[in-house]
Amino acid sequence: MPNLLKLGGLRQIAARALHTQLSSTTSALALIRSQPNQYVIASLAGRKYLLAPRDLLTVPRLNDVRVGDVLSLSEIHEIGSREFTLRGDPIIPKDTVKVAATVVEHTKGKMEIIVKKKRRKGYVKTIKHKQPYTRLRIGTIDVAVSEPVS
Amino acid sequence: MSFKLPPPTKPIFRAQLSSRPANGHTAFIPQIRKLLFRYCEKWPSSSRTRTYLTNHLEVLARANPHVEIVVQQRNQKEPIVRGFYLNGRDKVISLKEFEVTQIQQKVQLLLDSSGAKIKPLKRRIIESSTESARGIWSGLHVPELYKI
Repeated sequence: MPNLLKLGGLRQIAARALHTQLSSTTSALALIRSQPNQYVIASLAGRKYLLAPRDLLTVPRLNDVRVGDVLSLSEIHEIGSREFTLRGDPIIPKDTVKVAATVVEHTKGKMEIIVKKKRRKGYVKTIKHKQPYTRLRIGTIDVAVSEPVS
Repeated sequence: MSFKLPPPTKPIFRAQLSSRPANGHTAFIPQIRKLLFRYCEKWPSSSRTRTYLTNHLEVLARANPHVEIVVQQRNQKEPIVRGFYLNGRDKVISLKEFEVTQIQQKVQLLLDSSGAKIKPLKRRIIESSTESARGIWSGLHVPELYKI
């Protein structure tokens, strides 16, 4: 299934209007790569996040990783820049865009005190709970450069 | 009527010269620098701490070469472990009557932490200092000025 190139919004900035209909992923990625900043929409632990480089992402505790490990995001749904967006179906091809995330820490949130009560029954229960989290630092977004075959 | 000329060069404001913290973006520096164990030689509340220190501490120290591990004898007091972090804060956990496995869990908690104060993280999913890639819409920078 071909990936579609979607022009950013309906803005018609005269100087930069591009009325091209591109069907190849590599040329779309080249256009996105040429712009100064990119973002990705990737899913991690079953949830989608809009990520940029240097972000600190907090997800529910990942028990299989240790602090300092570098993870590679494998499910990237969308990559975009100022003018262009490439949306996958449902994800863009795996080796085209590489985003690394470093596990910075495993923490716990603030203590939550949950009180359960049933009136007139003598039932009162107090639960103290700290949700464990993992924090990840997003690295640079690397878009693969494909060399033209001569 | 005084007329002020614009400055010849664009002024650089001090705030934009500061760096944005991004530990882990390219290089990752573990935030824990020192673990301090304090135990009593006689009291039974420290007995399993003493077992842990004799049997498991060396393995821990070899597995975490970036951490300075200090053991202090403090008699007639309860055993504690104190973690010191690069942000200047420290975390103290009492090991009174703890079993060896519980001590291992608490030590791992200190090793995994960054030393930051515990704060509610439910709503802080993404903390970003990067400006938006798509930019922010401005009503003054469109072909037809946006009228409120």
